[in-house]
Amino acid sequence: MLFSYSSLLQGRNPSLKSIPRTQNPTRLTHRAGAMSSGPIYVLPGDEIDASLIPSHPKKPLRLGPGLRHAPPNDIIPTVAGQFVVERQKNAIRVETTSGRYIPRVGELVIGTVHHSGAESYFVTLSDFTSSALLPHLSFESATRKTRPMLANGALVYARVSLAHKHMDPELECVSPSTGKSDGLGPLTDGMLFPISLGMSRRLMLSKSAQDGKVVVLDELASAGLQFETATGRNGRFWVDSENIKTISLVGRAVTETDEKGLNVDQQKKLVRSLIKELS
Amino acid sequence: MAVSSQPAADLAPLPRADGSATFSHHGFVVTAAVNGPVEAPRRDENAFEALVDVIVRPAAGVGGTAERQLESILQSTLRQLIPIRDFPRTMIQITLQIVEIPENAYENAKILQAQLNLPVIPALLHAAILGLLTASIPLKTIVTACTVAITEDGASAGRVTLEPTAIEARRAKSLHVVGFTGDGGLLLSESTGSFSLEELAQVLELGEKACSRDHKDGTDVLMEDDEVSSSSIKYFIRSVMQSKAAKDLHWK
Repeated sequence: MLFSYSSLLQGRNPSLKSIPRTQNPTRLTHRAGAMSSGPIYVLPGDEIDASLIPSHPKKPLRLGPGLRHAPPNDIIPTVAGQFVVERQKNAIRVETTSGRYIPRVGELVIGTVHHSGAESYFVTLSDFTSSALLPHLSFESATRKTRPMLANGALVYARVSLAHKHMDPELECVSPSTGKSDGLGPLTDGMLFPISLGMSRRLMLSKSAQDGKVVVLDELASAGLQFETATGRNGRFWVDSENIKTISLVGRAVTETDEKGLNVDQQKKLVRSLIKELS
Repeated sequence: MAVSSQPAADLAPLPRADGSATFSHHGFVVTAAVNGPVEAPRRDENAFEALVDVIVRPAAGVGGTAERQLESILQSTLRQLIPIRDFPRTMIQITLQIVEIPENAYENAKILQAQLNLPVIPALLHAAILGLLTASIPLKTIVTACTVAITEDGASAGRVTLEPTAIEARRAKSLHVVGFTGDGGLLLSESTGSFSLEELAQVLELGEKACSRDHKDGTDVLMEDDEVSSSSIKYFIRSVMQSKAAKDLHWK
């Protein structure tokens, strides 16, 4: 999954191009991307140059994370990061890689069961935040009598089904339309590694080697290791294998790639040295 | 006592915090750790707003009333920047540890308890802003602050000085800290000493010029004030955040 949009501007706003701008000679306001053609970086409160905001005849303009619509027609970045425009989707967003996970509907996360309530499990998505609710019955073919019994501390791979600032997030391990689990559910055995939000996004790209430049997992697999992984958008990475050494090796390879910001060649080198260590 | 007038920062030095930054400027070094949005303590929980919790720790000893006053000044400034209504029932915790204060070879560096130290506020504020930016906590805008002193004695009586040294600050008639938002709005103004309304207007004018500069060399704006040497904090914040974003997104 790429990302989910936090808000949606209904309808194209034709007046966006005519935001009145005060040109005060003593006040030097920074206009993002007014002259540069490379990647555009913004700070909160910057003015976004109107030429960067895409206009599409039919699709509504979509605002991704990191942008705020200040009525009537200002679009203001709220975080520091790279300003990204997707002309085909008529979408704009600000990309960041650090920070704490804030749940959004539709994202896949790995949670830890904190305790079980009367009708749902209380699941922790990140430390020191209020628990998310995972109803006992939102598992594949679960009924009151046959439902997975999760002990405290068990891991679940789930989808965020409800995220609202005034309510605790809700999770589900079953697709509400088909009733199938689609790979979601309890994660038994294995080990959990914390990674940055940016790294989990890279790992979750559909072509992570090509678009996200992550080749560690492919390299480890081609070196003959057998393991199973799951990545949560909340910065959690789960590995399972028959061999305990393989689990720790895969986890170390991914966390090191994340922390040191390794490029493709460095990742290959890291995998080679780790494999040598193993044998 | 060569105090560097160039700002310096180290982003995300603390691995366990959501966001952290070490900021040094004019001899002050401050480390900020930002965590949030996390669950607020039950008794402080607000059903509609996020709680902004600022903790200031002094370079030596335990915090006292002076630190509590700094905390309240920073808290009221920062809660204007964070869209607190977007994170109800949560807490955004900003811990600011003063690591170094300017060494002062000439003035008697007696540590007086319960005395407000105004010149440390810009360093605390900039460290907090960098911490919040690294923690990717949404902000409405950024704020930059500076210290201004009005000198008392000698031929230059009544002169406004931007970013005074420790000695100048000590001998000043009045000391002011002003903070301006990205679009030039006055957000923070704290003063000590005696000054007239005209002097305050001068202070605000100089402060706005210094804070709103967004270019590496401020020659175009501050030509008339022979204060060209002081670098633009806003430009500095922009460049460090830009290089961090470029480094984090190297794979794109």
